[in-house]
Amino acid sequence: MQAGYVFVLPSIVLYAAFVLAPVAITIILSFTYYDISFGADWVGFENYVRFLTEPRSLEIFWNTLRFAFLAVSFNVAVGLILALALNRAMPTVLLYFFRLAFFLPVIISAAFVAVVWSYFYSVDFGVINYYLAQLGIGQVPWLSSSKFAMTSIVIMDVWKNTGFFMIILIAALQGVPKPIMDAASMDGASPWRRFSRITLPFISPVLFFCIVFASIGALQVFESIMILTGGGPGDSTRSLSIYLVDEAFGSFELGYAAAVSVIMMILVLIITIIQIIGSRRWVRE
Amino acid sequence: MQTRSMQTREAKKWVDRAIIAVLLLMGILMLMPFFWLFSMSFRPAAEAYKMPPSFFPPSFDVSNYQTVLASSVPFLKIYWNSLYVAVLVTIGQLVTCTLAAFAYARLRFPGRDSLFFVMLIGLMFPAQVTILPIYLGYAKLGLLNNPLGLVLMGLTSSFGVFMLRQFLRSQPKELEEAALMDGAGYFKIFWRISLPQLMPALGALAIITFTGAWNAYFQPRALITSQDSMTLPIAMDLLRGYMSQGNLSVVMAAMSMAILPVVLLFLVAQKMVIEGVTFSGIRA
Repeated sequence: MQAGYVFVLPSIVLYAAFVLAPVAITIILSFTYYDISFGADWVGFENYVRFLTEPRSLEIFWNTLRFAFLAVSFNVAVGLILALALNRAMPTVLLYFFRLAFFLPVIISAAFVAVVWSYFYSVDFGVINYYLAQLGIGQVPWLSSSKFAMTSIVIMDVWKNTGFFMIILIAALQGVPKPIMDAASMDGASPWRRFSRITLPFISPVLFFCIVFASIGALQVFESIMILTGGGPGDSTRSLSIYLVDEAFGSFELGYAAAVSVIMMILVLIITIIQIIGSRRWVRE
Repeated sequence: MQTRSMQTREAKKWVDRAIIAVLLLMGILMLMPFFWLFSMSFRPAAEAYKMPPSFFPPSFDVSNYQTVLASSVPFLKIYWNSLYVAVLVTIGQLVTCTLAAFAYARLRFPGRDSLFFVMLIGLMFPAQVTILPIYLGYAKLGLLNNPLGLVLMGLTSSFGVFMLRQFLRSQPKELEEAALMDGAGYFKIFWRISLPQLMPALGALAIITFTGAWNAYFQPRALITSQDSMTLPIAMDLLRGYMSQGNLSVVMAAMSMAILPVVLLFLVAQKMVIEGVTFSGIRA
């Protein structure tokens, strides 16, 4: 019966080397002042204290949460609306077209997508501003103003990712038992009532998965912000991941960056736990 | 009575049409960036900033593509790096994840469930938490600025193991049990019975893995700085820096080439991609 170990060995070794050990080392690093040529000095909680007392931290923390909240809400809501709209009989050609149109952005690297969008968003020669001007709306400083930068990133993120949630939710909607729906229709239940009393409870576990999955991704957002704004203007779009990469590979503050990444991990954990607890109220078992 | 129900049916038909019209409009809007990207890549440099933007290029000018290939950025080398990393990572994951998934789904051995649980925890760690030690380790081993480093760290994934295990568990066991009775070894059972059953799931995993490796940005950016070792997503950042002032069309030509494999993969295996994604979502 020991054959099992042989089969799991390659994956376990690689997993230990590239996931488990690094996570453990990061946690240890976070308690040190690490210099690449001299090694580590134990400094206890100093890095954590530094993050918590740094005035920038509050904005960076807030940006991370704000982006995650906006991106998750819009991605899942728009994905659900699209899924509901698409979950009806229609010609196959249309179905293929919609799959292509809504899912193509999902499979393209955010790095590529962001390069294209940075031109869309450019103030003077951007396509978006050109058409806004045609509509009589003035120029919008999409990425160069701290007022709009975060919104611009969220808009691109929803364009990029909502198709993913749409596909998953379509699959969930197809599992809603048709006889129950038909019976409710016969009894004269309004579309909203059918949605809130039948569809929503039925797809709630999948919807919950979408929210958790989207949150974990959004809390770690990196490439879209990096390419569109690099965290600026000022710190207005700097998220934890951008900040930690700056600290690690810009200033080579590896111990401090490790502490920031541990804080990020704890944040992801806490949010996931809150969502799991909250889900007991609305997710049907 | 009769007319009333006909009226509601008529109304319903119009609602359906309206919804499809709105969806079509949105679909076209969703595709606009891609259209714009391709159209821009065939435009002479001078046309790139022309307002109002013309939808179609005035002529199909391939000189932007030639410029990319002839530029000081070693585009072909970078393209090769991306292919090399994505192909090897995909093969690696198919092998390691299939073996492990088979053991977790079909074999019994002490500690199996705890091992699987530890593996699953891996889904929770952000890439940001593992990158610093990998960076330090690679610096010691001379694997920084080496695409091989990107391959090594991608050779297995919790997601792959989890997905394939779920798939295997949903398959009937009878054949394997019969083979076991007949004295077949575990490897034979794996090779002859489980692997063929896994084929559709492996296809989906291969596409997801290839696309993921092709698109990866965070780790390559942290581990690679030299142009000769770059992969496409980070190179795109670089190209943009070099060329954006003068020539937007050239960046778009490079981008078109960079997204081509993934777009083709999607067009060819649309069904598989979508099933793979749905599968990973629904049964997680």
